[in-house]
Amino acid sequence: MRFWKIFALALAALMLSTQLAVAGPTYDRVMESGVVRVGMMTDSIPGAFFNDKNEWVGFDVDIAEEVAKRLGVDIERVQCTNRTRITFVQQGRIDMSVANMTHTRERDRVIDFSITYFFDGQKILAPVGQYKKHEDFVGKRIATMQGTTSEINIKNLLKELGDPNYERNVISFQRESEAFQALKLGSVAGWSTDSTILLGYAAQEPGKWELVGDFISEEPYGIGLPEDDSAWRDSINFALQDMWLDGTYMQIYNKWYGPDTPYYFPMTDKIEVWP
Amino acid sequence: MLKTWISKNWVQNVILLVIFLTAVYYWGYVFEFGYKFNWSVLYTVNPTYGENLGLYLVYGLKVTLKITLISSVVALALGTFFGLGRLSTFKPFYWLSTAYVEFFRNTPLLVQLFFWYFAMPHALPLEMRHWMFGLNYEFWCATIGLAIYTGSFMAEVIRAGIQSIDRGLLEASYSSGLNYFQIMRKIILPLAFRAIIPPLGSEFLNNMKNSSLAMVVGVADLTWQSQQIESLTFRGFEATTAATIIYLSLSLSISAVLNAINARLRRTTYHQNDILSLGINFFTWPLTKAYLVMERIFSGLFPKKQAGLKLTTTQTIIKQTAIWSWWMLVLLSKALFALVFVYGVYLLGNGLYSYNWQVIWDNLRTLLIWRFPQGRVDDMFMGLGGLSFSILMSVIAISISFFIGLIVGLGRMSRNNIFRIPSLMYIEFIRGNPLIIVIFWVYFFIPVFFNTFISVFWSATIALTIFTGAYIAEIVRGGIQNIPRGQFEAAMSTGLGYYRTMRHIVLPQALKQMIPAIVGQFIAIFKDTSLAFVIGVMELTYVAQILNNRLMIYPFEIYTTIAVLYFVCCYAMSILAARLERKLTPDKVRLRM
Repeated sequence: MRFWKIFALALAALMLSTQLAVAGPTYDRVMESGVVRVGMMTDSIPGAFFNDKNEWVGFDVDIAEEVAKRLGVDIERVQCTNRTRITFVQQGRIDMSVANMTHTRERDRVIDFSITYFFDGQKILAPVGQYKKHEDFVGKRIATMQGTTSEINIKNLLKELGDPNYERNVISFQRESEAFQALKLGSVAGWSTDSTILLGYAAQEPGKWELVGDFISEEPYGIGLPEDDSAWRDSINFALQDMWLDGTYMQIYNKWYGPDTPYYFPMTDKIEVWP
Repeated sequence: MLKTWISKNWVQNVILLVIFLTAVYYWGYVFEFGYKFNWSVLYTVNPTYGENLGLYLVYGLKVTLKITLISSVVALALGTFFGLGRLSTFKPFYWLSTAYVEFFRNTPLLVQLFFWYFAMPHALPLEMRHWMFGLNYEFWCATIGLAIYTGSFMAEVIRAGIQSIDRGLLEASYSSGLNYFQIMRKIILPLAFRAIIPPLGSEFLNNMKNSSLAMVVGVADLTWQSQQIESLTFRGFEATTAATIIYLSLSLSISAVLNAINARLRRTTYHQNDILSLGINFFTWPLTKAYLVMERIFSGLFPKKQAGLKLTTTQTIIKQTAIWSWWMLVLLSKALFALVFVYGVYLLGNGLYSYNWQVIWDNLRTLLIWRFPQGRVDDMFMGLGGLSFSILMSVIAISISFFIGLIVGLGRMSRNNIFRIPSLMYIEFIRGNPLIIVIFWVYFFIPVFFNTFISVFWSATIALTIFTGAYIAEIVRGGIQNIPRGQFEAAMSTGLGYYRTMRHIVLPQALKQMIPAIVGQFIAIFKDTSLAFVIGVMELTYVAQILNNRLMIYPFEIYTTIAVLYFVCCYAMSILAARLERKLTPDKVRLRM
């Protein structure tokens, strides 16, 4: 009995000591502790995913590490999902979320964003040769993920194209991997989300999948940051711009999205640089 | 002085009220929330999306009710069928039923749903798949999956209820010349129902709460809709609170109905004119009436003939052939069943044989321990994950929740309102909600109320602990109530106080009786750790998802493997529980004079 009492007390003490954190201006805290906590996805290929050695790699991972390096601090990686990436920033669990997150006004009401660090757009992935244009998906079921901008955009698209059952025909899963599994199974006709994620998954089985139609929407990615903390936001923005100016950004970009990779996605835009 | 004051009821209530008001005052006026509340998201039209998000909850509630009702009916049918199968002397039926019950009771519902949704269709031909997917597959997959899960629990309840009937009764009815169906309908089932209905009712309640898992296969039930509001507006606190209130009122109304039925069952005489009986009679009147009318029509159609003891030759022949053909029919159906059974086993074996075992073998280590001990510095516990993470979570949760349960269970039985009412509220509040909602509370509420955060691992573990605490409190209460009152009185009269009575007399005996139930609860938590995947904890189900995501083409292998991993752990524990139960049956512990 005594053993259990001590065990329980020790556990409680351990939890409190490791988990209590001081809230405050992020910049000062990060610089003082020398650690920046970054939230990243786990199943967005090639944004951030586990490779066959169970290592956590990807474009977002490299960007986050480079930003941390430029700030001169160590990185603590925190796993995020579509559900948790904003909540974590709100709660102060992470200092920034590099989690292929589209910068939207609704999101900007609760957290802040850096400048756009990646330009993506939403498309629909479907089996090769079955669909030509968006109209072909009217009345068909399309997979997406809950809590993403893609979910809203695809519903709006189907509504515009005149699908009366657009609410029921969009099936929202919890994760990217589940949506892709559903597509492979054939329980949905297409999977709609940001095109780089679609490319990442399609590249796992070359020749079986294709992107259909034009971009449904623009998806500018920003790094999610705590609300109202301009010193911190500035330092992240400056780090991103420096990366662009000295070419490190393109190096990372070409490593994951360059012509020699299975996820080829041409760079179409420029990162905003302030003189 | 203090003692006399504190034993007065109104003093206790005043103290409770003061504590409550202090909490309201503290969180209402003193405490600085880092979070700005905005309850209006639940009832006004959202400008960004042009919709009233509160309506989402109504749609969700409708879907939840639909899943609950359909799956309850199917589960009851499955449970009755396999519950009888567990008692059958026909071996293949018995084997099938046992396999069904043990397998589905000892694997998490979440894994089962993933299996039904993501793996099972791979085994079907393409046309059939497409036909199925046209039929609102998500909804039916979740509903039938839930029914199969609940059915396995109901089968056990029904088996236990039927087994509780004295064997002599069966023999007596056989020897009075009734046949199997007559015995079942007239003698056994009416009696068994009295034993079955209370636990069956709580299975219905659990079924409602488990329907919240339908969200993982993309069904827009209540939980899904509340999370949808969260993801559209980032108002997790408000959305989760709304879902909590709806779930709570649902379960409270279900348990009110169940309590009324239980109370009615305990009455032995029919015509009692208290409110309870009248209420029940009022609601069951159409059913009773319909039954009576049916019976009258039936007996009118087939009037019983008073046959003489002596039969004519033709009558004998007719009777003989009737008996013979009945026997042939039974034999034939048994043979058919055995054939189907053998074919099923053959299919299963064939399927297992065609598995790519190498894939499972290569990734077993990942499933068991993830990348321990080669984790990075920022990984928890040196990169531990997978099965060992699930075990770790459940061990932490059970050991802490045991103490919570002990204290709350004692508080629940206390005569003092200060302890009783908060304990009661805690138990009812937790038990009235699905675990997934409790996980979301800890995840959304703790940061709001304490201005701090905890990692997903601890979030999920705390949620499991709080959740299990309420169930253990009820186990503790049951265990203590099982101890004869005389023991309390004897201890009190020898001059031991409350604390020493509990510590030296009551708890040692009660705890011994509770052990099997607590092991059962441990199995339940272990299965429930799979739910932590929703907020991204590296436990077995999540690791399996990552693996499946990477390997892509082996969903069958992966989902079967994790189902087997969960099954092995849970089944081993349930065998342990059964053995303990046999060893520690109350009759041996309790003193008889």
